[in-house]
Order: sequence, then C-alpha cells, then structure tokens
Amino acid sequence: MKTIVTFIFVLVVTVSFAQDKFTATMLKNIEAVYSAKTTEEYQQVINSFDRIASAEKTKWEPYYYSAFGNVMLATQETDGTKKDAYLDLALTAVEKGEALAAGESELVAMEGFVHMIRVTVDPATRGQKYSGQAMRAFGKAVKLNPENPRALSLMAQMQYGTAQFFGSETTEACTTATTALAKFETYKSVSVIAPQWGKSMTEGVVARCNK
Amino acid sequence: MIAEQVLMKAIFTILLITLYGAAVAQTKISGVVTDEKGEAIPGANVSLKDTYDGTSSREDGSFSFSTGELGTGILEISFISYKTVQHTLELKGEPVQLSITLKEEINQLDGVVISAGSFTAGEEKRRTILKAVDIAMTAGATADIAGALNTLPGTQKVGETGRLFVRGGDDSETRTFIDGMAVMNSYNASAPNTPSRTRFPAFMFKGTSFSTGGYSAEYGQAISSALVLNSKDKAEMNQTDIGILSVGGELAHTQVFDKSSLTGKITYTNVRPYFNLINQRVDWITPYASVEGSAAYRQQLGNQGGSLKAYGNFSHSDFSLYAHDITVPENKQMQEVNNNYRYGNAAYQQPLNTKWSMRGGLSYTYNDYAVKIDGKPMRENENDVHAKIVFENSVSDHVELRFGSETINRNYYASRFDEQTIQTQHQDFNETIAGSFVEAEVFASNHFVTRVGARSEYNTLNHDFSVDPRLSVAYKPGSLGQFSFAYGRFRQSAQNQYLRVNNDLREEKAEHFILNYQIITSNRTFRVETYYKNYDNLVKFENGNSMLLNNNGNGFAKGVELFWRDSKTIKNADYWVSYSYLDTKRNYLNYPYAAIPSYASAHNFSIVYKHFITAIKSQVGVTYSYSSPRPYYNPNHSEFNSDRTPSYQDLSANVAYLPKNWLILYVSCTNLLGRDNVFGYEYSKTPDANDVYASRPIVQPAKHFLLIGMFITISKNKSVNQLPNL
Repeated sequence: MKTIVTFIFVLVVTVSFAQDKFTATMLKNIEAVYSAKTTEEYQQVINSFDRIASAEKTKWEPYYYSAFGNVMLATQETDGTKKDAYLDLALTAVEKGEALAAGESELVAMEGFVHMIRVTVDPATRGQKYSGQAMRAFGKAVKLNPENPRALSLMAQMQYGTAQFFGSETTEACTTATTALAKFETYKSVSVIAPQWGKSMTEGVVARCNK
Repeated sequence: MIAEQVLMKAIFTILLITLYGAAVAQTKISGVVTDEKGEAIPGANVSLKDTYDGTSSREDGSFSFSTGELGTGILEISFISYKTVQHTLELKGEPVQLSITLKEEINQLDGVVISAGSFTAGEEKRRTILKAVDIAMTAGATADIAGALNTLPGTQKVGETGRLFVRGGDDSETRTFIDGMAVMNSYNASAPNTPSRTRFPAFMFKGTSFSTGGYSAEYGQAISSALVLNSKDKAEMNQTDIGILSVGGELAHTQVFDKSSLTGKITYTNVRPYFNLINQRVDWITPYASVEGSAAYRQQLGNQGGSLKAYGNFSHSDFSLYAHDITVPENKQMQEVNNNYRYGNAAYQQPLNTKWSMRGGLSYTYNDYAVKIDGKPMRENENDVHAKIVFENSVSDHVELRFGSETINRNYYASRFDEQTIQTQHQDFNETIAGSFVEAEVFASNHFVTRVGARSEYNTLNHDFSVDPRLSVAYKPGSLGQFSFAYGRFRQSAQNQYLRVNNDLREEKAEHFILNYQIITSNRTFRVETYYKNYDNLVKFENGNSMLLNNNGNGFAKGVELFWRDSKTIKNADYWVSYSYLDTKRNYLNYPYAAIPSYASAHNFSIVYKHFITAIKSQVGVTYSYSSPRPYYNPNHSEFNSDRTPSYQDLSANVAYLPKNWLILYVSCTNLLGRDNVFGYEYSKTPDANDVYASRPIVQPAKHFLLIGMFITISKNKSVNQLPNL
C-alpha cells in the first residue's frame, strides 16, 4: 500500500516537475528579457521564447514575451525599416498568442504597444492611423481586465506623447498614469510567469507630470 | 522492508533516468550558420523542433548545444529576413556537426525596387520619397495634387495652367488613375490663362505613384506620365470635418460600420467675395463658383485583404467673363462657361488562394462643357467607360506574374453654332480601345530585379493594332544605393479637338530610355536621373491648316534631374530640392519646323521647406520655384518660337496653427515677392496699319493668392485632426 502511495506520489512529482520545467525555463528567460540590454541579449532570449512557444503549443506566455522582446528591440533601433521588421515579428507573436488565449488583456495591450511604437517611425504620416489603432487596443485591454496596470500605463504614454506632439494639455495622460500606478500597487499576478513590467515606466510618466 | 527499499531505489532510479536521463545519452549538436556568401549570421535561432533544446548562434555564426532527445529530430534554423531551414537528424548520443546556409528572403521593404522614372508617395512601410501628407502640406500648392507634384524633378512649371507638364510633354500626356481605373479630365474647369486644380482632393489617397516615364505595362494611353492614386482603405473611426475657407466651405462625415465605412463630402467654392476684395486682372462678369459632392464606400471582404471600394464625385462649376481684344481693348467678347462633371469608380480586389489574386474595376466619366461666346452656344461632351480585370500570381517568392485586360470606350461630341451657315455644326467620335498586358517581375536576389512586360492595344477608330514592350531593371549593389534602367514604348490617342476633326488619326507615340541612381535612407534621399525620349506620330497640321491633320509630327526630349530630401539635419524640419534640365524640340501642330514648345523651360528648380515649431504649435512651410525663360512665338519676328519670356519665380508660404488637437487655422499666400510673372504673349490675329502685330502679356490673374481657412474635426478620439488632410 505504502509502495503504491509512494509510487503515485513520485509519479505526481515527476509530472509536476515536467510541468515545472516550463515554469522554470520561463522564469529564467523572463528574468533575462527584463535585464537584457544589447541586441544580442534580446535576440538570444527572444529565440528561447520562440523555442518554448513552438514546443508547448498551448501556452500564450512565450509568445507574449517574444513579442515584448521584439518591441524592446524596436524601441532601441534607429533605422525605421528594421524597427518595422521587429514590430512585424512582435505582431505575429501576439496574433499567435491570441489564437491560444482569446481575450487575454495582456496580449491586447501588447498589440497596442506594437502600434504605438509604429507611430514613432514617422509620427507625421503614421500618427493618425496607428495612434488610433493603439488607443483602441489599450481601451479594449482595459475593458477585458480593468485591473491590468500595463494597459493603463501604455494608454497614459500614448496620451502623453500625443499631447506633446500637438503641444496640448497633458492632464488626461497624467490622470491615466496616476490610475495606472495605483493599479500596480494592488495588482495581483495570476501566475508567477504573468507579466510584471511597467511600473518604473509609469513612475517616469507620473514624474514628468509632476514637474 | 527490504523489498520496499529496493522498490524505492528502483523508482528513484527510474525517476532519475526520466529526469536526468538526458545526461546519459546526450547528443551534442554544433555547427555554424552562414549566409550564401559565407558570412557568419549571429543571433540565428537554432532549435530542435518541439523541444526546448536549442541555442542562438554566436558572433562568428557558430553554435553548440546538447540534447537528451533520442531518435529522429528536426533541427530548425531561423533568422529575421532569412528563409527558415530544417535538417533531419538522427540523435543517438554521437556528436552532430552541421554547417548551415541561410538564404535571404526576398524583401519587399528593404530590397531592390523598380525606381527608374517613378516617385512613390505612400504610408506603406517601404522607403518612399514622399509621404501622402507631403502632397497636402506643400506651400504654394494649396493642397492641390498637381501643385505639389510640380515641385518634383521631371516637371516643368507652366503657371498659367496649374497642370502637370512632364519632360517636354504637354498636359494631355499625363494620365491619372484612381485605384487602377482611368480618369478623364482630371482638372477642374478654369478661365483662360488661370490655373486649374485637380478634381480630387489629396487627402483621399493613401498612396501616390507619380511616374515621369518608363511605367508598367498595366498603364496605357499616356505617352509622358502616369499618376497612379490609391484611395484610402476602410476608415477606422467616425468623424465629422468642417472647413471654413475664405473661398468657400466644406463638410465631410465618415461613418464606420463593422466591415465597411462610408464617407460623404460636400464642398462649395465661391471666389466672388474674395475677388471683390482683391483686384483681379480678369474682367469677370461672375467669377468662378462650384459645388461638388463626393461619396466613398469601403467594404472589407473576408480576412485575406479583399476589398470593394466605390467612389463617386459630381461637380458643377460656372463663371463668365469679358475677353478684350488686343488691339482695341474696348471691343470685348462675353464668355460664359458651365461645366458638369461626374465620375464614378468601383474597384474590387480579392485573393483567390495563396498564389493567385484578382482585382478589377469599372469607372465612368461624364464631362460636359456648355460655353457661350457672345451668346452663341458651343458644347463639348464626353462619356467614357473603362472596365478592367487583372490577375496576379506569385509564381514563387522570386517571380511575380501579372496580366490583365481592359476596354476603354470614349464617346465624344462637340457642337457649335456657325454664323456663316446659320447652322449647328457637329463633330464626334466613338472610340473603343481594347488593351491587354502581361508583365513579370523577377527577383534574382535582393540586389537585382527585372520587370519585363508588353502591352497590346486595338483601337476601333483607326483599326491600329499595336504591341509595346516595357522593361525595367534595378540593381542594388550594397544596402543603400541602387541603379535602375527603364525602357518602354507608350502611345495615346490624339487629343479630342484633333480626333474629332479627323477620326482616322493614328495614336501618338513615345519611347523612353531612363537611367537612374538613388540612395534612400529613412531620413534622406538623393536621386539623379537622366533620360531620352523620342516622340513620333504627333498630330501635325498640313500646310498650317488646322482642318487638315496627319500624324507626321515628331520630336524628342532629353534631360538630367536631381532630387535631394533631408529631414534629419535640421531638427523638426524637412526640406527637398529639385532641379530639372530639359532639352526638347518638336515639330507638330502648326510648327513650321522643329522648335522648343512654348510650355517648355530648360531649367526648373524648386525648394520646399517645412518646419514644425512646437513653441507656437505651428507648421510653417515655404516653397521657392524657379523656371527659366520660356519660348513664345512673336509674329513680328520671322523665326518661330524664338522669343523668350522673363524667368518665372515664386515664393509661397503657409502656416498651419494647431491651438487645439481638433482645430487648425491655416493661412497660405503665393508670390510673396510680388513678382509679375509673364508666361507668354498673345498677339492680335491681324497686323495693324504699321504692319505690326499688337501684343499682350499673359500674366497671373492677381499677384497673390491668399487663402485663409479654419478646419474643425469632431470625433471621439481627440488626437485626430485634419492636419493630414490639408
């Protein structure tokens, strides 16, 4: 009897350990993507997420972080064409993630993030089209999960950038940023591999608002 | 107990093997990733398919990792802008060594593109020379498409018409296409020697391709230039736009539905109050006024990019004036002009499968001029229908094939009251052109592309059957600069006023040879182009008689053009500089021998500068244009077209002020220098008593044109305004 119990216990441990391999690998790479600085570091960790994504087939998170890495690369890149190429990869990853987890607020916010960075390639020409798409995505992400601080934070960034571009009041942007920051304080991650980033970015916006 | 211990031990052993079994039968996979030239590719993703195992290639392209997987595995190697490669491996604990070559993907964004002769303006991702918004915000152009394109090389400024004259060709030699469908009479009615405007507002289009020669076999019936306009896709949000201008007003509304959008716009233009304030050198009876309405419907079809676009436009304009006799100015003639115009266009496109797609369309143009000269009526009426279908096939990622057919039917008549016979005289024609084209774009690599095609046409009026070859090649040796060459033969029917006299006139022809070099980065463009153009079959008056027409005219044009654009050097500023040199002569119409046409100027120069000043929330634009003296015919001199006008110079400026996101105040003014530009001279038909033909200069109707406007946008998204529309 004891043998059987032990056997089952071991089996459960084995299975959960196999599952943990996903979590463990993800945690390692998530840490890497948050701390990446150079293009090479980003490229390596994006590659890792892409490998995990293709092996797992049911998890949206690897796609999410792959997209996040590509968006970060796009923000570092100065050449517009290359920027677009990274953003294309990011958007493809978001779409693959959305196919697995429809209505995931984080993915929708990431999609908006992609559109937002698209604007920076050429604000005068792309502003109208992509800022509209970005704002719509952020709005949808907030609707899907009103507690998602990243969706609010990105929305605040977008509002701030638009206000600056037109030289108008940043009041609306600052209100959104403050709300976002409050949400960061109360935000409870649903899992250890859920997105955590964005707080310091939001603090940055709030700091500019208070200046 | 012992048995249990043994069992436990066994289980742990199994567990260990399961978990760390990898250590027992590890397969080391290593190698190097290079491109086709043998250059290392760092950062490539090397992965064992369906496992976590893999790595990224290092700086020198090398990679190495171990896997505990056994049996047959698939190694996948991928990298941005390269084609993904798969290798099947046997994994049995023995090291595997691989050398992997990745092939470049044919890249539409950064790779080589056909560029000879063409200026592309669009918001697509590819690097374009001009943006859609540039067309709208060029000072001096007052948001007119032709006005903005006149600041590009290859055009000759002909200020009294406001139209596009390309590389020694006259205004009839440029054809406009909207979503691939031909537009006839793309300019608004205008009084003699006053500039006309394009009928279609710049903001309607997301992309513009202005080709000054060597264009695709898809476009026919144009011997100098093709202006290809692509209208915007489905709108994204509801909005209402209100514009109040010193010469009228406009109101537009866009309503967005799930898969479609509908935009309606009405524009009223009336220059009468303005002309009352600012003295005009035209003896107006009733100055120009027009009312114009348009509607655009956009429908998405499926999720693969299929769409249906329909656009309709109607306009009515009228004016009347007195034309004064040159020798006896008191003798005046009353001219009354009424124009009714309708244009409708439906364009459909749909991917059929992953390889094939189709697009097609139908367009209809109705243009009616009712003119009265001292009360005697004249009429000119044209009804045109254009139908077209095109199939596109991606044969492979290196070859794109395109072919299609079209028919263009033009039904024209003109009538006038003849005083001598006291009868109304009629002239007309009904012409159908059936055209087909086939064209292939072949990418040998990201560095070399060839486009080769041919266009055949049959004309029912003169029974001409023709086949015209088109060829373009482009070579991009490095990552920035590229060389292009284009050749093509082009043709178009004789202009209406000649074709109606002689229905048998053949088509006018031109041959283009173009050589181009350009460097485009995201912030700067440099471009130089040289060309030779040969004209044949031009309409010619037999013995100077305008009622006896043949096709014995001919001519040539050659030139060099430079273009520089820079939006990097000066912060918040963007400018471009164009220069064109043109050497052309033609012997056509009433020319006694080959001469430089009166619309041609040898040197054209323009500089367009735009600066966004954040402190005053304003965009300021300045445009300077110069055209060297143009020839004109002085009947007092024996030699034809041997006299020269003074040079043309213009300095225009505009300011768009954005006090609020949804509000724009706009002011533009032409000819700040107050220069009295002379475009040519008109002469009396008969000499006076001293045997001298009296002359009168053709000048600007007013020294300046001042436009003041206020644009309001009402939408849910406060970040939207009409700046891109101006």
